[in-house]
Amino acid sequence: MFEEPLPILPRQYAWSLLTVIAFVLGVPCFAEEADEEPQFDFAATVQPILEEHCVRCHSPGNRKGEVSLETIDDLLENGYVTPGDAQASYLLDLVTSEDGERPSMPKEGTVLNSDQVAVLKTWIEHGAEWPEEIIVRERSKADGTWWAFQPLRTDFELPAVQSPNSSASDVIDAFIEQRLEEAGLHRNPIADRRVLIGRATYDLTGLPPTPEEVEAFVNDPSENAFEKVVDRLLASPRYGEHWGRHWLDVVRFGESNGFERNVLINNLWPFRDYVIESINADKPFDQLIREHLAGDVLEEDRPDQAVGTAFLVAGPYDDVGNQDAVQAAQIRANTIDEMIRATSEAFLGLTIGCARCHDHKFDPILQRDYYSLYATLSGIKHGSQVVVHKQTKAEHDAKVQPLEAKRQELTSKRDAINREVLERGLARLEEYEQEWDREPIDRRLTTDEFPPVEAKFLRLRSLGQDNNPGNRNSFAIDEFEVWDTADVPRNVALASNGSVATGASRHIEDFPGAYGPHLAIDGELGERFLATSGTLTIEFPKPERIQKITFSSARNESEPGQPKFVFLSDYVIEISTDGEHWEELIDSSQRKPVNEAARNARLSRLSTTPEDQQQLAKLNRELAEVNRKLREIPPLPSIFIGVRDANLAEGPFHLFLGGSPQRPGDLVTPASLNVLDQFVPNYELETESPEHQRRAALADWIVHPENALPQRVLVNRIWHYHFGTGIVETPSDFGYMGAEPSHPQLLDFLAAHLLESEWRIKSLHRMIMLSKTYQQSSDNHPEAARVDADARLLWRFPPRRLSAEEIRDTMLSVAGVLNLQMGGPGFRLYHFMQDNVCTYEPLDVHGPETYRRAVYHQNARASVVDLMTEFDQPDCAFSTPRRSETTTPLQALTMLNHSFTFDIANELADRLRREAGEVPHDQIRHAWQLCYARDPSSDEFEECELFAQQHGVEALCRVLLNTSALIYVE
Amino acid sequence: MESQNKNEIEIARRSFLGNVSAGLAGIGVMQLLRDASICGAQDWKAGQGQTHFEPKAKRVVQIFCPGAASHMDLWEHKPELARYHGKPLPGEENYVSFQGKNGNLMQSPWPFVPGGESGKEISSLLPNMSQHVDDIAFIHSMTSKSNTHGPGCIFMNTGHPTEGFPAAGAWTSYALGSENENLPAYVAIPDIRGEPPNGKANWSNGFLPARHQAIVMSNQQPIRNLERPDFVSEQTETASRSLLDRLNQSYAESRPGESALQARIAAYELAGRMQMSAPEVSELSQESESTHDFYGTRDSNSLKAAYAKNCLFTRRLLERGVRYVSLYCASRASGVDGLLNWDAHKTLKSDYERHCPVFDQPTAALLSDLKTRGMLDDTLILWTTEFGRMPTHQQGTAGRDHNPDGFTCWMMGAGVQGGVSYGATDPFGRRAEVNPTTVWDFYATVLHLLGFDHEQLTWYYNGLDRRITDVHGHVISEILT
Repeated sequence: MFEEPLPILPRQYAWSLLTVIAFVLGVPCFAEEADEEPQFDFAATVQPILEEHCVRCHSPGNRKGEVSLETIDDLLENGYVTPGDAQASYLLDLVTSEDGERPSMPKEGTVLNSDQVAVLKTWIEHGAEWPEEIIVRERSKADGTWWAFQPLRTDFELPAVQSPNSSASDVIDAFIEQRLEEAGLHRNPIADRRVLIGRATYDLTGLPPTPEEVEAFVNDPSENAFEKVVDRLLASPRYGEHWGRHWLDVVRFGESNGFERNVLINNLWPFRDYVIESINADKPFDQLIREHLAGDVLEEDRPDQAVGTAFLVAGPYDDVGNQDAVQAAQIRANTIDEMIRATSEAFLGLTIGCARCHDHKFDPILQRDYYSLYATLSGIKHGSQVVVHKQTKAEHDAKVQPLEAKRQELTSKRDAINREVLERGLARLEEYEQEWDREPIDRRLTTDEFPPVEAKFLRLRSLGQDNNPGNRNSFAIDEFEVWDTADVPRNVALASNGSVATGASRHIEDFPGAYGPHLAIDGELGERFLATSGTLTIEFPKPERIQKITFSSARNESEPGQPKFVFLSDYVIEISTDGEHWEELIDSSQRKPVNEAARNARLSRLSTTPEDQQQLAKLNRELAEVNRKLREIPPLPSIFIGVRDANLAEGPFHLFLGGSPQRPGDLVTPASLNVLDQFVPNYELETESPEHQRRAALADWIVHPENALPQRVLVNRIWHYHFGTGIVETPSDFGYMGAEPSHPQLLDFLAAHLLESEWRIKSLHRMIMLSKTYQQSSDNHPEAARVDADARLLWRFPPRRLSAEEIRDTMLSVAGVLNLQMGGPGFRLYHFMQDNVCTYEPLDVHGPETYRRAVYHQNARASVVDLMTEFDQPDCAFSTPRRSETTTPLQALTMLNHSFTFDIANELADRLRREAGEVPHDQIRHAWQLCYARDPSSDEFEECELFAQQHGVEALCRVLLNTSALIYVE
Repeated sequence: MESQNKNEIEIARRSFLGNVSAGLAGIGVMQLLRDASICGAQDWKAGQGQTHFEPKAKRVVQIFCPGAASHMDLWEHKPELARYHGKPLPGEENYVSFQGKNGNLMQSPWPFVPGGESGKEISSLLPNMSQHVDDIAFIHSMTSKSNTHGPGCIFMNTGHPTEGFPAAGAWTSYALGSENENLPAYVAIPDIRGEPPNGKANWSNGFLPARHQAIVMSNQQPIRNLERPDFVSEQTETASRSLLDRLNQSYAESRPGESALQARIAAYELAGRMQMSAPEVSELSQESESTHDFYGTRDSNSLKAAYAKNCLFTRRLLERGVRYVSLYCASRASGVDGLLNWDAHKTLKSDYERHCPVFDQPTAALLSDLKTRGMLDDTLILWTTEFGRMPTHQQGTAGRDHNPDGFTCWMMGAGVQGGVSYGATDPFGRRAEVNPTTVWDFYATVLHLLGFDHEQLTWYYNGLDRRITDVHGHVISEILT
């Protein structure tokens, strides 16, 4: 009977069994009074089942089906459990499988096995007792003792750390050596100087060293030769461009809004420049983080800091405009969610976004933590605002205001005249109305008949649009027919008759002719000509005798009133024999007006006197002059740093059950992350606190010296970019699902150093790069590779392929055509088309205006830019803390065949001739120096000279641009 | 090539270096371990044609009609709409959806007619498709998370309404690798009118390595950068490729064990083979006259002819071992009218009388052709759209607004029952009522047919082992053979 023990014995049985045992053993076995029944152990039996299978959905933060299993309340209230009566307890039906079908609960994940169902049944039968103190929650895998949250440890036991003669770089080596020794591995010797300077130059600037730089270093006898190189590179503006690019990956910087419309954002680049400048200036990173979250409010009148807050809105967002209130609320929640994820991943290395619908499954992050951040960021909307010094604004306003006042004055004068003219017209309305005896214009069919006349050309000219009589340009025509005088009249306007229609139309670049004039004479309804400059002209193949015209924009439509059928309020039809001299055939002046606006427009036309005209013309001239002056004042720079919306920031804030804005749960306030309260002074703000205060509090809390997590995250990112892999392999996930550190002490040592250097990172680069670990060669050893293939322990320097940006910059650089102009609006390697939504077509030809560093490319989301996309430049839909490094045939095709390669090959060939003269041998040597920082071997000389002789230097250059040696650093 | 991805995090998580000791060279070992971890104890390997279990389908073609093709005007007959035409939708009078207020119920402008032995009624606008209903499993109870085209499309393609996630084809490419190395594993064929809403995000690799993104090709638009420019002679090209190969070989040889360098040499060889094979696939002139007529590639309707060519092109891709083809019929919303896609807000009747003839014959021809060639046995055909349309007309118009609460998709071919209809919306077509089905259920089923347990096909990215089915999804076993 004990072979398959029930998970819990029925109470009576257990009782009797225990009694038997007690009896047999002859000893008392209960601490309690013998007549008191032992407690059913809810915590050991039922609770784990609920934790594992139920509360993820049925928690107070989710309440699927409006049921929470955190306590017994909902179960009792809804009759899911009837204590003592398993039969009547619906809960059991829900989890029990019938006929092998999946039971209705749990909806997701594994179902309860029969033992577990038996436990629940037994528990119910025995009164369904649920100790009051027990609240059932899904437990995250990691808790507050998780390594990443703990204070920095600096009590290292390494001798090197304690020795006063050790430099920080020595300490790094000591930490690395310790792990190498444990694994029986050895560090490689120092790399060759040609290799080393290539590595350092790419690492700090993303560019290859020049031949002169290589030679200078190779021939520098001083002991600190490499140190000098590092210092020179750190001082170069190219450093900020390269490391700025790294940071832009982390903060998911992209210059279009993504989603359906994906419109380019043309004023986000100042943030890119701000990042580059900040990094070049070695701005303390805690300050940078504070500026990212609250740069607009840290100090008075600091536009240079305010630009930093563009971080908040640098991600994708849905701006399509949804009338459905439920969906609109969801979209708003998604928008804030994006900001929460970006913030928590970039600075905290935590995937707080996972706590949107329920407490984090793996990390000790509560759903209410997530919604505290939601409250913190609730006032931010995507958009632009003027970012300038107060003084500049005041000066600008002083110039603009008088002109604006003048404009207003002139406009009201003009309006007054127009009103008066209209009133005069209205006074004679009855008189006019007697003349308006024809049917009004009809979108469904408008007909004009007239005595037969001969014409070769016929033209419809708009005098106004029915929806807006002031607009004489746009209208729609689904069909326009011109009838001849035959017994059975023939439509001579038909294209099939040989007629041709012309007229400017709405243009869609990637679908030419979508709304062209040919649609007005194609004999078919449905598709329409959309005029954009007010005319439709039809040329017949030969002069025709005509007597009737019919046209429409909504023929046979049941709802002709919709905007898509926009038509005419008044028109003129003219004919011509030569297409140059026109005479009026008929117009709409005798028709009844289509609406009041059309009537008024017509009345105004009729009652404007020459004096009115004169006055109006004068006013219009003056207005034009004022407008010209206004245009001459340069507008204040408007930057996409987001808009602060006090209404949106107004509480109260609730957590959303199951992540749904339609199901508000408990109240939350802007506050710090719960789990870190044990180490970092926490904060909790009033719901009424000003929006900016919340952001500033969050920023201060993140960079608080006691908050070790962001410090670890930052130094790990730096290590990651130096060695290709971080000490923690998942740079934006320091939680349970992320990787654990390979060298935890080293990580803390670096973090401590970051604090010492007041969050300035140049000194970190220096100490890392001056270590022997960094300077070792990348030589491969099969024995070592068997132990540690990826060299995570750093027994060698891990070689890497260049990034997409580095590859393009390198090609431009070796060809001598890289334009080092910094900052300002970016260039584009795609053709941008906008028609309601946007389309990006990669360019086949890249002009010299694109020969800037790739960091200045205006990266649009969901656009493909051959070389860049193929070499793993991220789409920036999300933060990209580490790039992938793929090798594909498409890369080869692009590198071989895109015109960019040929252009650069030509430039490089020119440079070789220019700098090395006409002797092929010299050209080839120079090419090798530029591309590979060395001389060619004799074989290489021989082969390439022959090749160049037969196929030209340009062809050789194309080959060199495709070599692996050009795009791998060791 | 597989060796180049850097998703070896599992290992570090499990215990750093604990596992990294087995034999073999370099990254290959890491790969092996990672793959083993993906599938627990099983030794399934990604990208090598292996599956979790015996597959029914070897390849997939997903036909996508963007713009939200109306379920109640094409696939799911709602007779009640005719009975209650002009009356308010009970319980949802003046309902505000995506573009604004709704009017009263509106019947479908066209009759539905029964087809096949199953007698399944579909719209009379689709006479050719009607001949295939006995082979199709309709899912009439689909639901979406978004009522906006862009997010809706990428939700339908990636299982997530936000950008940055891999499309089903990218997951397939990752899971199976390519069958024919001279062609991509995953091809997207946009409509001649342009890209669907949200463009390239619909066939993105997301966080998977870049090589899993779809290669965009169509009969109108070849693979970019495929051809060498005319000014490079064949001689020069041959000599260049051979010099390049030698330089790259010698660089790699002096660095033994760097598999990335070998991979790059292989990539150039592959590129060369692709240059040979890709143009051949597009050679529709190899097809017979009758085939062209059957598909309608020379139809006077230029949109139809272009789509027909892409249908024929699709068959040629599938025959040559492409694993996943996403074929689009229509493009983005134009903002003016329903000219570019199935988004019939204002004039349902004239819009669909334009779109259906483009879609009907060529699609039906593709299905027939695959069937005749015996390819239906192991080819899975999907028909999808991003969501459905309202049973009411949009106020002041004769069109329908967006409806994410109920719509139709269908499957056909490998492992799928024919002539069945699974799930249903309510009598008006407003909401999925019988067996509501999610996009995740849909892809759980697709992966199942491809031989994969959707819960086991994962990729670690930022905090989670990601799946196309997120944390959801049940296989719709009712429609399987």
